[in-house]
Amino acid sequence: MAACMSPGWCPIAVTLRPFLPALLLSAGLTLLMLPLQTDIDLSNTALLYVLLVVVIGSRYGRGPAIAAALASALLYAHVFVPPLFSLAITELQYLLAAGVMLVVALLVGHLTASLKAHAEQVQAREAQARALYDLARHLTAAQTPAEVEGITRHFLETVLQAREVRIVPQSAFAEPPAPLTPALLQAVLAARHPLLSAGAGPDRSLVLVPLLAAAGRGYLLACEIPGAAAGAGATRELLETASSVVLVALERTYFAEVARETEMRRSTESLRNSILSALSHDLRTPLTVMVGLADTLGLGKASPERQKSMLAALRNQALSINQLVTNLLDMARLRSGGIELNEDWQPIEEVIGATLQQVRSHWKDREVTLDIPAGLPPLRFDAVLVERVLWNLMENAIKYSPADTPVELVVRRVGEWLDVMVCDWGPGLPAEGGEELFGMFRRGQTESSIPGVGLGLAIARGIAEAHGGQVLAENRLGGGACFRLRLPIGNPPALEELEEAT
Amino acid sequence: MSETANILLVEDDRQIREFVAATLEGEGYAVIETGTAAQGAVEAGAHKPDLLILDLGLPDRDGVDFIRDYRAWSRVPVLILSARSQEAHKVAALDAGGDDYLTKPFGVSELLARVRALLRRSQQERGQADPLIRFGDCQIDCVRRQVSRGGEPLHLTQIEYRLLILLASNPGRVLTHRQLLLQIWGGQAVENHQYLRVYVGHLRQKIEDNPAQPRHLLTEIGVGYRFQP
Repeated sequence: MAACMSPGWCPIAVTLRPFLPALLLSAGLTLLMLPLQTDIDLSNTALLYVLLVVVIGSRYGRGPAIAAALASALLYAHVFVPPLFSLAITELQYLLAAGVMLVVALLVGHLTASLKAHAEQVQAREAQARALYDLARHLTAAQTPAEVEGITRHFLETVLQAREVRIVPQSAFAEPPAPLTPALLQAVLAARHPLLSAGAGPDRSLVLVPLLAAAGRGYLLACEIPGAAAGAGATRELLETASSVVLVALERTYFAEVARETEMRRSTESLRNSILSALSHDLRTPLTVMVGLADTLGLGKASPERQKSMLAALRNQALSINQLVTNLLDMARLRSGGIELNEDWQPIEEVIGATLQQVRSHWKDREVTLDIPAGLPPLRFDAVLVERVLWNLMENAIKYSPADTPVELVVRRVGEWLDVMVCDWGPGLPAEGGEELFGMFRRGQTESSIPGVGLGLAIARGIAEAHGGQVLAENRLGGGACFRLRLPIGNPPALEELEEAT
Repeated sequence: MSETANILLVEDDRQIREFVAATLEGEGYAVIETGTAAQGAVEAGAHKPDLLILDLGLPDRDGVDFIRDYRAWSRVPVLILSARSQEAHKVAALDAGGDDYLTKPFGVSELLARVRALLRRSQQERGQADPLIRFGDCQIDCVRRQVSRGGEPLHLTQIEYRLLILLASNPGRVLTHRQLLLQIWGGQAVENHQYLRVYVGHLRQKIEDNPAQPRHLLTEIGVGYRFQP
């Protein structure tokens, strides 16, 4: 409003502004009608004035409509009613016409204006209802109390021009953010009613709405809104409606969290049980063998050859326990989320070569073949962990396929992925598919003499997923199973030339 | 070996200490056993052993600090015994001056192989090194700075040659990424493991029959490289 020179005058100027067109239009109509005075009947002229009042009433509201009615009546009487250009009305019928016109204009103007006010109110309510609906819709997607707070903040900022919107849970009442105080929060919560205009500044009001949930849990919705809005009854109503929606969302996130924790406890419990049962079986068996072997050897009665093979058995049992402990430790690290990837760009050939070397020294008599194309791009991965994956897959393939068949390692680039496949000529995957095998403590053959607890594949998959990759199981044509380690190729950084040290 | 080698064994677990000592004594070495780092430092000063076998998880002192202090006054090779969960620790111990490591549980044959290799090398270091290094069908002539394979000269870049010489002059010893980068590119490059991998890859292309399954330039995953003649 560029015309506002002094701020004190502006409100008056704003209030008076709609009256100006009302008066101008009345005068304009009079001037327009003046040349046609002789052609148009007097009663039609009166109707035109009534029409003008209706238009002004619907456009500018009640006040201007009344002003227009009065002005029209005066102008009508003055300009059109004989004697012309005089307020004096000589004939009774003209007086009646002027009087009726004034009353009709007032009535119609009043009705139009109320209709307009009503329509505006309905529109405002509709906008609020839509905002509330949006609020409710967005809140259904909220997963955490912080998200609920964010959505509520957005709603109140849009609808009420609120600032400093916060949801304070009861647990944080002891140390609330300024300017809130613990006593104030407790008082509002105890009163169970919203508190408006607790005073946050001259033209801002502090609003505190208690959100009371079942079982004594409570939250407080706090915000600052413009002083004018704080006085309106609609604001209180809106706040109460909004806060009940917000409370439902808060409670939902609370119970979702409770359910998640319960589920986690339950799965931890069942994991603990399967670990215990697996350990008691898979650890005790080799330990029993070891004790027995040690005792028998201690007697010193076995033949030297026999003693030698018993000692070898003793060593193998100990190594299998070591493997078990390694797997359990890996699993514990993966499960606790405490795994930190030590990633680096490096060629996959290096890890494959090193793993193959270890596999060949561990299973000296087993044939392991490697098919790897040249010119593979470097990948970003943690070498120690990927080695564990390859070792586990190869150990599986070796253990679960006949000793006289080869284990094949095949590396292929498939689009944006690099696949390392470990394939065997064993019995293949169970009929119900391979997914089952990736669960913890799942074994291809549940009761068998093949040592292991069924953690290898679960670990392999856990590590692959931590790298953004996957481990997949499939049957190969002609029998046997293939386990596929799939790693993303990504964009290796370009190598700059390093200067040589002199 | 003309004279009996002295080996100092610092390991807090009594049973491991006993079986390691028994194995080494069975091979004719003289073994001094201690269970703490403090005692180990005293024995090292008093007996001047030919080899130190050090457990990384000692109760009274960090093994890495122990090695660093020991390296301040002695060049005697150090063999580290570590548990599998101590990966980063193990690399730090090698960087501090450890020569090789064994991961628990280890077999007796592995232990003896490492001990022999370390003793042999420290003896060689005292004597005159051979300027001709042979492995597989390759030969390095350190005097003329020439490498040949199957009698044919191999063309190596400056960096490839230095990398090969560094690894080949420490046969059987694991060199960490950091040590290799420091020696070849200098201090500013110690974190750039990728350079090293690229050059090792080039070298393998030139000297290995099957670069994907190397026989001489072996990868120690997460640690570094080892040259196997």
